[in-house]
Order: sequence, then C-alpha cells, then structure tokens
Amino acid sequence: MDEQFDIQKTFNEIVEKEKTVSLPVVAVKVLTEFIKQGKTSTLQEFMKNLQNASETLKALNPISVSAGCDLFLRFITRTTHDVTNLELCKKHIVEKGEQFIEQSEIRRHNIAELGMQFIKDDSTILIHSYSRVVMLLLMNASKAKKRFRVFVTEARPSTNGQRAVDELKKANIPATLILDAAIGFIIGKVDMVMVGAEGVVENGGIINQIGTYQIAVVAKAANKPFYAVTESYKFVRIFPLNQYDVVSSTLDTNNHEPNKISLEKQTVDYTPPEYISLLFTDLGVLTPSGVSDELIKWYY
Amino acid sequence: MVLDNQVDLLISKLKRRQIVNSGQAAIQTAYLMRMVIAATKSHQADKLIDTVKEIGKRLVSAQPMELVVGNIIRRVLHIIREEYTTIVRQEQNKIPQFPSSSSTMFNLLETSDDIDYSNTFYDFKQLVIDGIKDLIDELETQEQNIANQALEHIHSNEIIMTLNNSGTVQAYLKQAAKTRTFQVIVADTSPTHEGQVMAKALASAGIETTLIPDSAIFAVMSRVNKVILGSHTVTANGGLIACAGSRTIATAAKYHSTPVVVCIGLYKLSPQYPFDIEEYNLCVSPDQVYTYDEGDILEKVDIINPYYEYVPPELVSLFITNVGPQPPTYMYRLLNEFYSKEDFEI
Repeated sequence: MDEQFDIQKTFNEIVEKEKTVSLPVVAVKVLTEFIKQGKTSTLQEFMKNLQNASETLKALNPISVSAGCDLFLRFITRTTHDVTNLELCKKHIVEKGEQFIEQSEIRRHNIAELGMQFIKDDSTILIHSYSRVVMLLLMNASKAKKRFRVFVTEARPSTNGQRAVDELKKANIPATLILDAAIGFIIGKVDMVMVGAEGVVENGGIINQIGTYQIAVVAKAANKPFYAVTESYKFVRIFPLNQYDVVSSTLDTNNHEPNKISLEKQTVDYTPPEYISLLFTDLGVLTPSGVSDELIKWYY
Repeated sequence: MVLDNQVDLLISKLKRRQIVNSGQAAIQTAYLMRMVIAATKSHQADKLIDTVKEIGKRLVSAQPMELVVGNIIRRVLHIIREEYTTIVRQEQNKIPQFPSSSSTMFNLLETSDDIDYSNTFYDFKQLVIDGIKDLIDELETQEQNIANQALEHIHSNEIIMTLNNSGTVQAYLKQAAKTRTFQVIVADTSPTHEGQVMAKALASAGIETTLIPDSAIFAVMSRVNKVILGSHTVTANGGLIACAGSRTIATAAKYHSTPVVVCIGLYKLSPQYPFDIEEYNLCVSPDQVYTYDEGDILEKVDIINPYYEYVPPELVSLFITNVGPQPPTYMYRLLNEFYSKEDFEI
C-alpha cells in the first residue's frame, strides 16, 4: 500500500484550492494523482489499491464523489482489458484522466449554450441557491443580450442564495432574493425553474441542495417547467425510492445517526423524475428517462 | 441552371403554401436533394455537405413552420456522413472500439477522433444517391408500415375518437376495419371541417362513423376507448405540433384517462425543442371563420383562426411510428439514430 499518499488530505486540498471545480472532477483528480504516485507492479494490486482509494473517497461524499469515482473506475476497468502492459495502461489512464479534468470547464460552457435557448426575452426564472452551472448559463444568456429577471431562494441553512444574487447583480441581471418559505407565493410570477444538481440518479431524478424537491412540487402544481442543469459526470448509479434513501452529503459523516434527521445535517433532498421537465446536460437536452439509457450504455 | 430552377420552384411552392401536406413536402425535398447530389461536380464529402446545407437553409427559411423540410435535409446530411465514415473505416480496416455517437458518456473519457471529410472516393456519390433512394422509399411506404400495426392497437367493438383528416390515421383505421368491427367518432374540426371529409371516407370504407361538433368532444369522451390522432410534427421532447383542436381532445382524454395514440411517420420528428410554445400556434386567414363580405361587424371584433397548436408530451400515451410503437419520452433517442448531432442546427 502507498502509505505516503493521504487521500482525504489531497481531496480537501484540491477542494480548498479550486473552488470552481465540481466534486466528481476533484475525485478523478485525486485518483489520477494516486495512480501517478503508486508503485504497484501487478494489475491485481493496482486494481485493489484503486478500489480502496475510491472507497475512502466515496465515504467523504456519497453522491457527487461516488459519481466521479464510479465513472473513472469503469473507464480503468475497460482500459485494463484493452491494454495488457500495466505501465502503458497507467500512462494511458493518467493521460485520459487529465484530459477529462481539462475539458470539464468546456463541458460546462456547452451546457450553458444549450440551456440558454430556453430563455426568452422578458422571462422570469426562479433558481435555487447557488449552482455554478446555472450561474454560468444565466451569465452567458445575459451576455447574449437576453433580458430576464431572476428570483433566487435564500436556501437556508447555507444561505448561498445571497451569493448568487450578489453575482447576478454585479452582472447587471435583475435579481431578487426570496425566502425559502415564499416559493408558493412567487411561483405565479415565474416562467420556469432552473436548478443544478449534486447527482442525477438512475431513474432521472436529481439529488440537490435541500429545498429543491419542494420547489419542484410547487412548480408542478403551478404547471411551470422545471429544468435541471447538470454535467453528465454527475450521473450516478443509485436508485432512491424515497427521501430517506439519500444519505446527506455533509463532508463530516463521522457522527452519522441513521434514525435521527437533524436540522444541520440534512443538506440534500431527492427530486423524483416526474417533477423534472428536462435535463440540460453536455450530452444534449435529455428527458429524465434518457439518464438511465446513458448509464446503461456506460456501465452495462 | 435546371437545378436552380427546381430549387426556386420548391421554395415558392412552400412559400405560397401550395404544399401544406408534410408528407408531400418531405418527398419533394428528398427528390430535390437527390438531384442536388447528382448535379454536384465534386466528389468530396465536405463539398456535398456544404452544398446541401446551403440549399437546405434556403428551403427552411422559405417556410419555417414546415419542419419536415429541415428534417429531410438533416437526414440527407446524415446519409452523407454515414456513408463517408463507413468507407473511411473500410479503407483503414479499422473497427471502432466504441460506438462513435457523439452523445454518450463514452465521450467523457474516450475521445473519438474528428473525421476529415475532404478525401475523395470513387463511388462515394453513388452510395449517397442510393441512400437517398432508400429514404424516398421509406417516405413512400411509411403510411402503409404504420397501418400494418393497426390490429395490435384496435380491438373489436372499441369506440375510437379522432379529428381532422390525417392520411396516416385514415389508412390506419381502414386497415383495421378489414378485420375488426369498431366505431369511430370524428370531431368536425371547425373551421376547416376536415373532420367531415374524414367521416365520409371512413363511412364509405364500411366503418360505423359518427360525426360530432367540436363542442361535444368532452361530452362524448367518457364513452371513448381510445383517441387516435395524426400530427404535423413531433418535437424532440415528444410534444406535438398538430392541427388546432388536438389539445382540446388530448386534455379531455387525460381527464377521462383515455389513452391518446399518435400515428406518425418518423420523418416528422424534429430535433427542435419547443423553446417558445407560442411560436408554433400558427394562425391563418380568418376568412373561414367569418367571411369578409358578411358585413360591418368585422371592424368591431377580432377574428382569429388558429391552425396549429402545441400539445405537450404528458398528454400523449404512445406514438405509433413506421419503426414500431414508441413512448413519448423515448423520441429524443430516435433523434440520434436519424440525424447527426452536428446537423441539428442547419
């Protein structure tokens, strides 16, 4: 084993250093780093070490990070089938891993371009909390001379909504912060809802910052389209049947008590696919049922 | 020169709405494209793509509501790309490890190399022309293909509701009537009254037919087992752009939990999303609603005559296509089968 390499430390360092990078990409970064520094000589040992490393990572954040880990591990398994020389194989994996990290920014831009078409002039958009890809989409739309208003939920307890409002205002986009409790009140003025996602599950539902589900329910009741904006590397092979199947993704999972849902701990919720109109992803605009198709193709 | 004339002819026909039937529009576009390919001197794929795109743009802008024209252009571009890549692969004797489709998660980690379309191959153009010939065949037989599935969906003694006069639906019902007895209720579809034409055609084929006014759709719906509709276009999310009145029927059907089945040739499947629903609610001359010479009241009231309207995918239960039945949520998948992603925007 590689005692020198501390996975948790590397992970935290990268998260701290690069705030714009999303967690699945960080996971791939850590694993690539891990392969680079590893000195294993047999394939079996190599795979075993990697699996251990990815388990450690997944424990840090069960949704986003495991999406990244599973994706990369699946790729590695495929590569080891094709390339039998271990050194060559490692080289190839590291190369592709780095390429993946490099392109993650471009991918986000593609999504923004795609989703922008859904914003028409004089529309009102409700967003939830702060999502990097949603913000990018709105900024690009504004640069493309689209005129629209944005309502942002405060999203307690993180109160990231304030940050989103500040940034939107700086970009001259009319933005208003609303209470989480005011969603039902405001929905009549809204033309569409856009949210990001921490993970997209197998049935096309999303896991996102807490409060997303209630927005989706209200939007459905008011017959407003509800769009999820997300990168495809957040697709993850889990199939939650209800809210309580989703483990909250706080970074501190040491004191997890499964039967107690405490106020501070619950940071994500699950929005079932029937509430989602469309998903804007780098694979194109998908209906929720398209997600499982893509997942099956990759992890058949 | 002859080619230019042909292009202009089709453009003006589309502009004047002399072609309103989407099947006709599709076939004529495909024939024109075959001429275009045959007349192009170059054997280079990229030149062919450029020419088709250039003419395609003009055709599409001639009548933006006629989405099938753009669809056929995309199909032709897809044929060119497919034939070309097959030749290149054969030349290089290379079998692709993973599907080359540009829209899967493979692309997150496996990058497929870009194809260089500038090489010349001897019989490449002939292959493309053959491909378009197959496409024309498909367009000409799709109605029959759909009709052949009728027995799977229409059962004895059922009551079926429809509206307007869709050729596809008519062929479908007539095919079913050869072996089954059932009853059809046709809504009048005012102000075109195309429903009357449909009712007459069905009655003369020996089907028990009832004609109702549009206002009775909801009242009669409780007795109906199945709604069968045609459509002008299907959008990428599985929504319809269909004749005005379709949404009324679909909503009434939803209320009574009656399944709504849409018969449609896949050439009508457009990669466009309904970004702006109002864009598709086309209105035509109000003459049919109230004629001009009927007097002074024209100055005092607004008269509108909607022609197409958008029906959201939630209201559709099933599509019956020339490649078999498909649920609305699956339509986007078929897009990747028929079109290349780089051609979604012509």
